[in-house]
Amino acid sequence: MKRWMAGLAGLALGAVAAAMPAAARDLTIVAGGGALQDHMRRTLFATFGQPVVDSAYDYSVGPIRAMVQARNVTWDVVMVEAPDLIRGCEDGIFERIDWTVVNRAKFMPGGTNTCGAGAIGWGVSVFWDTARNPTGPANFQEFWDTQRFPGRRTLRRGARMTLEVALMADGVPAAEVYRVLATPAGQARAFAALDRIRPSLHFWTGGQQPIELVNAGEVAYALGFVGRTANAIRGGARYELNWNTLLFAFDYWAVVRGSENAAAGMRLIEHITNPAPLLALTQLWPINPVTAAVANDADVRARNPLMMTNHQAGGLQIDTEFWLEYGPDLEQRFAAWLNR
Amino acid sequence: MGGARGGWLAAALVAPLLLLILGAFLLPVGVTLATALRDPEVATTLPSTRIVLLGWDGRETPGEAAFAAIAQELGTALEERRMGDLASRLNFERTGMRSLLLRTARAAPRLEAPFKPALIALDPRWGEPETWQLLARASGPMTSLYLLRAIDLTRTPGGAIRAVEPEQAVFRTLFLRTLWVSVIVTLACLVLGYPVAACIARLSPPWSSIALAMVLIPFWSSVMVRSTAWFALLSREGPINQALLALGLVDAPLQLVGTRLAVLVATIHVLLPVAILPMVSVMTRLDRAYLRAAASLGAGGWMTFRRVWLPLTMPGVLAGGAMVFLLAVGFYITPALVGGERDQLVAWFIAQFLNRDVNWGMAAALSVYLLAMTGGVLALARVLTGGLPKLGARL
Repeated sequence: MKRWMAGLAGLALGAVAAAMPAAARDLTIVAGGGALQDHMRRTLFATFGQPVVDSAYDYSVGPIRAMVQARNVTWDVVMVEAPDLIRGCEDGIFERIDWTVVNRAKFMPGGTNTCGAGAIGWGVSVFWDTARNPTGPANFQEFWDTQRFPGRRTLRRGARMTLEVALMADGVPAAEVYRVLATPAGQARAFAALDRIRPSLHFWTGGQQPIELVNAGEVAYALGFVGRTANAIRGGARYELNWNTLLFAFDYWAVVRGSENAAAGMRLIEHITNPAPLLALTQLWPINPVTAAVANDADVRARNPLMMTNHQAGGLQIDTEFWLEYGPDLEQRFAAWLNR
Repeated sequence: MGGARGGWLAAALVAPLLLLILGAFLLPVGVTLATALRDPEVATTLPSTRIVLLGWDGRETPGEAAFAAIAQELGTALEERRMGDLASRLNFERTGMRSLLLRTARAAPRLEAPFKPALIALDPRWGEPETWQLLARASGPMTSLYLLRAIDLTRTPGGAIRAVEPEQAVFRTLFLRTLWVSVIVTLACLVLGYPVAACIARLSPPWSSIALAMVLIPFWSSVMVRSTAWFALLSREGPINQALLALGLVDAPLQLVGTRLAVLVATIHVLLPVAILPMVSVMTRLDRAYLRAAASLGAGGWMTFRRVWLPLTMPGVLAGGAMVFLLAVGFYITPALVGGERDQLVAWFIAQFLNRDVNWGMAAALSVYLLAMTGGVLALARVLTGGLPKLGARL
């Protein structure tokens, strides 16, 4: 019995030892993967001057939280979305950015946060296939006009971005959207607007779906990620992308709290948000830089007419604080509305 | 002595099994239930405020001590970065609490005694008894909030239980839908799988092994792959629509992806082997002498099937059905890939709460009900199995 117990204890210890990370882990950076990350590896990570390992994740913060709580941090720098960044910062999931290492002045307005430095911008806007529909809606009010522009439309399945669009379709100016959406009357107004064109609405979940739906003729007009739409246009798709309907936000680089490589992580963030490596990246991939010098670079802008940064001025920046506060309530109302 | 030794030996022999049951079943279930009930945020982040509120009568607003305690503790929590969980917890129960807490925490270093008028001047919500009642109710150690919300119930500021607003209600529909889809899938798998299993059981080697392999190969391939294959098959320009168009059965491609039918077809296909395998195992072990005996007593084919074969293979049917149901109840990938907005099941929402909202209490509460629903069906299966000997006794 005793020997059996000892054996079991040994086995358990062995398992624990196997689960422990090896000493002196390489500096690890984690982003969304895909072709963009392949280009980032060559232009941003490889030029850092110290070995950097990169890996991909699906933007779920659950694993990062678990990692910090278990004090077994194996990721150092991660690209995170704004809501996850702000909540994670309040909870102590991410380190505060050391602004003596990272130059805060180089970012665009709204491009930094206590725990994050702007990585890339992203946005959604309306597009359609000109082969099927020569003209399309000029703004969200026209997007809602199913008489003038017949056919189904697709929006993202979720309250965030959809309710803003619904209010703008109902005539609320972009600058007023979040003020109106914070009131019960404004929320009712948004859902009433959705009700009006419900039979013509289809909701997507994955970022590639708007393009697939438009290509298959399944919908006439789609609200989709501008990066993917722009890529399709560069690839030869005959889409019209309407920049007047842009809603945008930034993703940020953050350092996971308790990372043994935190100091190197800060230096890495400073490096990968510097103009030189980012300009190299823009040669390979049309990113939406948050570093002002790159976003405003005349050459980059001329080379990339479809870069979001060229059209950001007229867009609506998604209000992260609003969604942290009203999100749980509105997302559930949206789910209930969808299931009705 | 010998008996005691034997007892020890027996205990040692079953110990791994007991540890497995403990580690793989009781512990996770216990942790899930505890997560659904735990309410630690106010107690950990605002300990002094909580103690002051324990002595509060719950009417009007509390005294200066509570205001002083919360101003000081919110300031510290923001500085030490312990605000997030508290803010989400209270904001989940009442929208708007997050900004109230954050605004107060940010202003805390500038506030001076007396804190009661200072906080009320900062935000009038501090002067409302409802705000303090919410804090007092959230002071733990346990809460029914998540378990109530997971079945579309909530509490009034006074503490009475009521249904949530109709525009918020979603989870009851979701549980009924999950149950309904799972039952349909289970029945379909049994009806489709039973003849297949019977065929395999009657084949002689090597054909029986080949047939079994044909069931096992899809069983071993990833659920993701099989679901994606169904997406391709069912899409507007997929082979099914093209075949229908070519045969002239339809004029325009049918909308198949995003429908309940697609979810059912794909889920049934994915889970079919799970139903077939236990039935094959029972049918192969069945003594053929019973069938010969039935024939020698003059029973026809239908009579033999109904009175002998079906009752004797029932344990396999129940085992297969229970397994299919258990898996269908928690299905996630297939409905997400081929289903539409009205086809998502409980599992999708559990993932949303874990990944998007980081609300583990809600995710745990939904899991608890899902587990209870599954347990109920298992109990039903058990009752049905218990009823079998009686059926057999009539033979």
